Amino acid sequence: MNLERIPNEEKLQLCRRYYLGGFAFLPFLWLVNVMWFFKEAFLKPAYTEQPQLKSYVKKSAMGLLLWVAVLTTWITIFQHFRARWGEVGDYLSFTIPLGTA
Amino acid sequence: MNSSDSEEDSYNERSALVQSESPTIPSYNQDHDMSLPEETDTKRRRPVSSGLDEPVPVLVERERVATPDGEEEELTLKYGAKHVIMLFIPVTLCMVVVVATIKSVSFYTEKSGQRLIYTPFEEDPNSVGQRLLNSFLNTIVMISVIVFMTIILVVLYKYRCYKFIQGWLILSSLMLLFWFSFMYLGEVFKTYNVAMDYPTLVMIIWNFGVVGMICIHWKGPLRLQQAYLIVISALMALIFIKYLPEWSAWVILGAISIYDLIAVLCPKGPLRMLVETAQERNEPIFPALIYSSAMVWMVGMADVSNPGSADERQRGGGGARAQEGVESEDDVAQGVSRRYSAEEDLEEDRGIKLGLGDFIFYSVLVGKAAATGGDWNTTLACFVAILIGLCLTLLLLAIFKKALPALPISITFGLVFYFSTDNLVRPFMDSLASHQYYI
Repeated sequence: MNLERIPNEEKLQLCRRYYLGGFAFLPFLWLVNVMWFFKEAFLKPAYTEQPQLKSYVKKSAMGLLLWVAVLTTWITIFQHFRARWGEVGDYLSFTIPLGTA
Repeated sequence: MNSSDSEEDSYNERSALVQSESPTIPSYNQDHDMSLPEETDTKRRRPVSSGLDEPVPVLVERERVATPDGEEEELTLKYGAKHVIMLFIPVTLCMVVVVATIKSVSFYTEKSGQRLIYTPFEEDPNSVGQRLLNSFLNTIVMISVIVFMTIILVVLYKYRCYKFIQGWLILSSLMLLFWFSFMYLGEVFKTYNVAMDYPTLVMIIWNFGVVGMICIHWKGPLRLQQAYLIVISALMALIFIKYLPEWSAWVILGAISIYDLIAVLCPKGPLRMLVETAQERNEPIFPALIYSSAMVWMVGMADVSNPGSADERQRGGGGARAQEGVESEDDVAQGVSRRYSAEEDLEEDRGIKLGLGDFIFYSVLVGKAAATGGDWNTTLACFVAILIGLCLTLLLLAIFKKALPALPISITFGLVFYFSTDNLVRPFMDSLASHQYYI
């Protein structure tokens, strides 16, 4: 869908829905929100709904960064310590690489 | 793997180039009673409804009719060329994904003992006659299942059981987005020997699936929606490549193109009836399982309307079962004020739509060529053949301006090229190479 064609109130509502949806463990949704509405929120000349749109985009970006940090930490820990964890490591693993310790 | 009915649905899409709706005027409110005027309608100007923030009254014009014949023909051709490119890219992407996966992940070329219930006859490699017979029988079973499903779909659509159709569609896209992508990821990780833990995996699949559902069935950025449609077509094609027995696959490809031809062109064909019913009701024909490309031209301060309207009309309206179709849509852009010259104010957005089943079967053909053909010559030959076929089909669409099946020409070329390259060109190239004779 093209953002150009819809009125500003609808844009705001869409952005808001995407923002709220991201709370269901959906950082990807926040990413889409940020990328899609970035131009609208920051690069377009001001209109009435813009400040709210901006706040949603900013909050989505913050949430996204938080998730990225959490996931990166977890993945690093897992990859590093998986072998050492023994049984727990295997239990958590979906695929276990062959041929390595 | 036991395939469920919903998997069946996804590939029920026949390719059909749907009757090109003559230029539609997207109203700003996107009301559905935009009628599809005939080509011969006279030029109309209609101010877009207020509710715009822009101070400039935006006019909507249909350009095609007003211009003299020469320009109209030129427009038709211009429309053809740009749209060919617009379809080449997603079709190519889909095929690239499938071929890349086939070549790297061995899972999809390993023949497990399992078969789909739609191809119950086993292919016995020992006897050629028996094998051929069984593949024909498999094809008959498969095609009859498809015909049956299509007829059910048309009946449901005629009797306005939209909820049912929508539920069916949602179920099949759920399965594609979650289950098949889960399988796919698992195999990719195994191939590349990467350790993956359940929590991260669940996050990935959950995000991928939910955002996919949102983009496809509700509202989302156009590019993302297109990307998701390409991905699910590729996933479906990979499933077919894995679970269809060797010879049956080729016979099925041929049979489906013939069925497609019949279903779309014959007056009583189910697909044609579907298309006509939808057009009578002025409803968007096939939501959620049609790939629509959009093209936007912008001039000055005009807000250009998009076949985002096509998407919206796709999503709204009837939950008709998505079928393959190539629809040429003329969405007239909102022109700028009269100050500009005639050529400049009138812009057209034309989106073109191609059904997902087309993507799937093209990719199946190229994927099988990559899997069994042996070397890249065959794969490339099939790829080129399909693109040529697509080109020709679009040309025919521009000429005939009605629903056309997109499968027959491409699949025929593809099959011809595959078998001839495999049996003629490859031994030739091999013996040239072995004799170190370069041409």
